[in-house]
Amino acid sequence: MSMVDQLPNLGRESEMLAAMGLTSMDDLFSDIPEAVRRNSPLDLPPPQTEEEIWRDAQRLLSANVPVNSRPSFIGAGLYANHVPSMVPMMATRGEFLTSYTPYQPEVSQGMLQAMWEFQTMISELVGLPVANVSMYDASTAAAEALTTAVRVLNRKVEQKDTVYVSDLVPEHRFSVIQNYTQGGGIEVKRLPHTEEGCLDMEAVKEAAGSCAVYVEQPNAFGIADEGIASLKEILGDTTALIIGVNVVSLGLMEAPGHYGADIVVGEGQPFGIGPTGGGPVYGIFACKLDFIRQMPGRIVGLSHDTDGQRAFTLTLSTREQHIRRHRATSNICSNETLIALMGAMHMALLGPSGLEILSTRNAAAAMLTEKKLLEIDGVEAAHPRASHFNEFVIRLPGSAEELCQHLDRRGISPGLPIEALFPEMESNLLLVSCTDQTSDGDVTALVAGVSGWAEEVSA
Amino acid sequence: MSDIFAFRGSEDAGYAQPAPIADAEAAKERIPASLRRAERAAWPTASEPELVRHYTWLSQRNFGIDTGFYPLGSCTMKHNPRVNERIVQLAGMNDVHPLAPAHHLQGLMAIFHEMQEMLGHCAGMDAVTLQPVAGAQGEFTAIRCIQEYHRSIDQSHRDKVIVPDSAHGTNPASAAMCGYSIIEIPSGEDGRLDLDALRAVVGDDTAAMMITNPSTLGVFEPDIAEAAQIVHDAGGQMYYDGANFNAIIGRTNPGLMGFDAVHYNLHKTFSQPHGGGGPGSGPIGVKSHLAEFLPSPIVGRRPSEEGEIGAGDGWWYTWEAPENSIGKVHQWHGNAGAVVRSWAFYRRYGRDLKTMSEHAVLNANYLRYRIMNPSPEVREKIHAMPAEGCPADVVKHEFTLSMTPLVDAIGVNGKDVAKRLLDYGYMSPTLYFPMIVPECLMIEPTETESKEALDKFADDFHAVLSEDAEILTTAPHTTDVKRVDEVWAARNLILRYPKE
Repeated sequence: MSMVDQLPNLGRESEMLAAMGLTSMDDLFSDIPEAVRRNSPLDLPPPQTEEEIWRDAQRLLSANVPVNSRPSFIGAGLYANHVPSMVPMMATRGEFLTSYTPYQPEVSQGMLQAMWEFQTMISELVGLPVANVSMYDASTAAAEALTTAVRVLNRKVEQKDTVYVSDLVPEHRFSVIQNYTQGGGIEVKRLPHTEEGCLDMEAVKEAAGSCAVYVEQPNAFGIADEGIASLKEILGDTTALIIGVNVVSLGLMEAPGHYGADIVVGEGQPFGIGPTGGGPVYGIFACKLDFIRQMPGRIVGLSHDTDGQRAFTLTLSTREQHIRRHRATSNICSNETLIALMGAMHMALLGPSGLEILSTRNAAAAMLTEKKLLEIDGVEAAHPRASHFNEFVIRLPGSAEELCQHLDRRGISPGLPIEALFPEMESNLLLVSCTDQTSDGDVTALVAGVSGWAEEVSA
Repeated sequence: MSDIFAFRGSEDAGYAQPAPIADAEAAKERIPASLRRAERAAWPTASEPELVRHYTWLSQRNFGIDTGFYPLGSCTMKHNPRVNERIVQLAGMNDVHPLAPAHHLQGLMAIFHEMQEMLGHCAGMDAVTLQPVAGAQGEFTAIRCIQEYHRSIDQSHRDKVIVPDSAHGTNPASAAMCGYSIIEIPSGEDGRLDLDALRAVVGDDTAAMMITNPSTLGVFEPDIAEAAQIVHDAGGQMYYDGANFNAIIGRTNPGLMGFDAVHYNLHKTFSQPHGGGGPGSGPIGVKSHLAEFLPSPIVGRRPSEEGEIGAGDGWWYTWEAPENSIGKVHQWHGNAGAVVRSWAFYRRYGRDLKTMSEHAVLNANYLRYRIMNPSPEVREKIHAMPAEGCPADVVKHEFTLSMTPLVDAIGVNGKDVAKRLLDYGYMSPTLYFPMIVPECLMIEPTETESKEALDKFADDFHAVLSEDAEILTTAPHTTDVKRVDEVWAARNLILRYPKE
């Protein structure tokens, strides 16, 4: 049987016990009362060597189907973009990878500076003055943005403890929002959308006088909604406008801070890491200065040391759970720093021009894919008058789920049935997502597949 | 000094990319004019050679476990095996989309299922979800489950959660986020749980008690089963904070102690790297009466049928929604990559996880003994010996020391000692936590430190205790920067590179 190779003191137990005047390992556990001791061995297999684990891992994980192994149009907020090689190689340097939260700034300047740079790049991206070091994902970032807004604005508004969330926020994000807001007694009302997949600007007026409104831009149908740009004028100063973004879209689309957003959140994932089974990814959180003393998460500030040289440190810690305990602004402690670091590296390498190119590639891929799909008999645009960024919804001559199964057997993932995101919606709607990785060949394969299926269905 | 915003490449510098697959100008015009970006983000304009050097330089100004001994109490800074990093870079992990159909995810789901089973077994729990992505989120999730459980049995009037004053700050913060009021009970004089204090506060309004065992003092609570009885008799639920789980695997478990729910810190016990503050992973395990409330989905399985190759292990894995699920706490399936790393770590030990915990406890006791028992010659030079945070014959995975005697002797405090240790090439122990120990240093060596490393640390710790006050109060002296002015940072709030 193989031995564990991770314990430097294996075989030296007696020597160390003897130094303390003890004789057996049991002596170290004599303080556990008999009644709660475990007396049977763990019912687990024996230890494996690295070689065996590597072999098993390769075999198990190769049973998964990576999105980049085939033409794939699955997205919905998590995208199979290309991540530059520098990013994982630099971020997994041991000094970054194996460090804890930088509570000792004197020996943590590297991560602190990298996160200060991250804050700057997110601030620039979304057009707001301050960003934190990351949230768990877009959904908890949105949820905590809402609770932050309630803390800051509740005293000033007519509709106390009330927030409004677009009904185009899909169930898997809305459920998180419900879990995070229910404890504070916050009522979450929904904002309807039009047939064209845009926010109903008449209904939005009801939200003026509440604590906050959360909408996504582009929305879950991939629509760039013009109405959102004038939302702040309708809501007024005391209702926070919270925008959830697709970060890649901001190479072409206006930074929400420039059209009145008070808080911007989103999934940072396309910068830094693949879809990675859904995690670890990272949520971004940026806000206006009025919100910083109530915002969740860690923040790095500039300072100096006793010699007057530039130095960074965590700051505004008095908001946090380790100091404020049950009065903290959030319970967040561990966040997603390493993935945010990967995001920072990716953003820094792209640069302002690279971001615009990346964003354009996404939009171009969607434009081409949509155009070609709509040429197929029986396939229609679900929102023909709307503008899209990298995703769009089509109406099929049959069930979207059946199309997905049909094409899956031919090695193509055509997208996600809208029903998977919004259970109450029609079963013949398909969300098609494109990225920088969408090639001409992928589009050709998808179009051939869908048109073949459409013919069969119509026949 | 390397400054990313000082790089001045051309405006169009950046990562070269293939051309768009359709007309770029037409693509840009898809965005309505009113929504088009007016001004580019002022990101760095730098090339890969410059950035590789920049991030290498930054990494060299950062201390990790790989750099040196990291005795940060309550954080379990153990070695992170490198094969785990190699595994998560595989395409079958990194390029997998969580919303892909289940038959695209059979390998990942097989690993999830194995982890659900293993974690449940080690903690004596009946059902496990891997969805929470941090310890604090695990706490929040479990308290949400308890809340829904109480609602389901007409006990929603229970609105108080009890925590000891030595608890991690996340415990009260998580319960408060669920809408509970917090009752903090004082520890006994010996730092242990005070049953009388507990009896005095339980009642018909008790929803739950949250506690970690071994406690944050590193000491096993001898009365834990009785505490559980008191809370259960009052109709409350017992919640186990798994931050200190590394101390007890195979020797006892929260189920035996009487707990109803537990969270695991995969980034502590199962070596998911801490990454400068995250990602973590905080699965929870629950007893059967709470299982129907767990977040959705969890992984189930049935024997595979003809043609279902899947993970090649004879099973077919399915996503299952617990009947009265609280819904979701993360929009995807949690930190899948952290779960996979932790799976690889677990496989390295198998049933010898028990040996792992034993070595964590062996190392903590050995280091504590070495620090508290210097040779007479060394003792003579030390200004004042630290006081034990908690009187106990043995500790578990960590121990606490109070520097109050040093304050009294030469006016040097815990922070000074911590900062001086940085000069000796160590990360500082956890400072000033738990708050019930004055001038506290909390030390957790973990099982992956050698006897020699522990001996050397004890010797260096004694050397620090023997130094002149002047050296200590102005420490550190040899680090990249000296003591940082945290007050200035909080007053001036320069939170980004200034705009030009």
